[in-house]
Amino acid sequence: MTPEQKRRNRTAGLVLFAVVAAIFAWVIFRGSDFLGGVAGLTGR
Amino acid sequence: MSSATAGHVSPGHADHGHDDHHHATPTGWRRWLFATNHKDIGTMYLIFSFVMLLEGGTLALLLRTELFEPGLQFFRPELFNQFTTMHGLIMVFGAIMPAFVGFANWMVPLQIGASDMAFARMNNFSFWLLPVGGIMLTASFFVPGGATAAGWTLYAPLSLQMGPGMDLAIFTMHILGASSIMGAINIIVTILNMRAPGMTLMKMPLFCWTWLITAFLLIAVLPVLAAAITMLLTDRHFGTGFFNAAMGGDPVLYQHVFWFFGHPEVYIMILPAFGIVSAIVPAFARKKLFGYASMVYATASIAVLSFIVWAHHMFSTGMPVTAQLYFMYATMLISIPTGVKVFNWIATMWKGSMTFETPMLFAVGFIFVFTMGGFTGLILSVAPIDIQVHDTYYVVAHFHYVLVAGSLFALFAGTYYWLPKWTGYMYSEKLGKLHFWSSLISFNVTFFPMHFMGLAGMPRRYADYAAQFTTFHQIATIGAFWFGLSQLIFLYAVLRCYAGRGERAPAKPWEGAEGLEWTVPSPAPFHTFETPPEVK
Repeated sequence: MTPEQKRRNRTAGLVLFAVVAAIFAWVIFRGSDFLGGVAGLTGR
Repeated sequence: MSSATAGHVSPGHADHGHDDHHHATPTGWRRWLFATNHKDIGTMYLIFSFVMLLEGGTLALLLRTELFEPGLQFFRPELFNQFTTMHGLIMVFGAIMPAFVGFANWMVPLQIGASDMAFARMNNFSFWLLPVGGIMLTASFFVPGGATAAGWTLYAPLSLQMGPGMDLAIFTMHILGASSIMGAINIIVTILNMRAPGMTLMKMPLFCWTWLITAFLLIAVLPVLAAAITMLLTDRHFGTGFFNAAMGGDPVLYQHVFWFFGHPEVYIMILPAFGIVSAIVPAFARKKLFGYASMVYATASIAVLSFIVWAHHMFSTGMPVTAQLYFMYATMLISIPTGVKVFNWIATMWKGSMTFETPMLFAVGFIFVFTMGGFTGLILSVAPIDIQVHDTYYVVAHFHYVLVAGSLFALFAGTYYWLPKWTGYMYSEKLGKLHFWSSLISFNVTFFPMHFMGLAGMPRRYADYAAQFTTFHQIATIGAFWFGLSQLIFLYAVLRCYAGRGERAPAKPWEGAEGLEWTVPSPAPFHTFETPPEVK
């Protein structure tokens, strides 16, 4: 693996980890309302 | 697959910019504990998933034993519910998902011409989380109150009321989820950054495509599951009330969040299976895969649609008619890209020079039986019908047709197909065929009667039942034991190869097979593609 490949891998990996963290936080703070609300159940 | 061929493959030790750890072959227990080689880690994933398959299978046989006759014979209903729940959790998170990650570890670098996975050490960590999770989940049987009995979906409010077994299940799912997220990140980065020169995305074997899309699904939905079960945990121990109606929360909300993960999860367990079948059918039909590009687009369409259909699992919880109609029609849409795939597999076989070695038998068996599971899924997507058969054996039959005859048969097909590459020996065709026919027949003996039981009103997750269901339950139990015993044939056939019994396998044992993995010797050497091959 070349150093350039390593650098690109690290960047891509960090971006994907950030996406995972963002989705996790979104579901807890906002997503629950959204997912329930879509089906007209939570009444919020 | 496209016309990708390896122009030149050098197994030599190129000295420009390679990691030093690639150059030694470790031995003894260190080789496995500190493994960073994608093939070793792939093998460990496959062994782990087979052990979990046996554990989940044993639980299934205990359930079937109890159900052989009406009334309670062997287990209290509470223990029966624990078996049901653990069977589901173990099969989904311990057997099927890790098995596909094992295949990805073994085959993705070989198919794209990469020397290893992008993050070799993280790969080791994501594997070793699995036994920790597996042991924790199994150990939960022995805590006060026993294992969780809330069903694999862990629905609130039941899951808010259970003992410490529930906490262990939540922690286990966190651990297994973290492992899968790391595995998915590794696969995405490997495929996007480490393909050999000339291996464009549209030249990649379909197995890599299906795994790339599956990995994005995992990244998108596993944090949703993690959030859902974290909220369960805080509701149980830290005074929050997300799902507690008495505190202003909403238990149905848990179902929405869970199924936003849960439906894509179904495709996480089937898309890599599509990839395996798409490799095998052209190889044994000795034709190129019909409609390669449409297969890629169909896979992506299925993945996108899987995000917008989650509430079809919840028709009976009560929702506005407009929402029911929307989720019903959106679900039906999925049959279009799935139909494209089935059509393409059949078109590939059309006028091909077909032979029916074991991998092809399992692939054709997959297409036949998975399609039946797909059709019952279509029937279940119709809201008025679903409300009638919700939580009955019809649903049990449906998802076992998809997950056993679908995912598991594809895993068997892939194992027989690539076993010569993994071990250097050909499996016994006689044993393979015996395994196939025995599994196919016993699978249908087990699960086909469940359609009728479900339509007649037999509810799932019940330890006892009305006497009119006895005959069908007995047939299903006999089939289940037959199916379970059939898997010992598989174990023996695989162990024979690892023990070096059987014919030596050439680099390319299948006449019609295409792809870079067949350009390296069998068994694949410890280090492959250290100098990337040229793909023309």
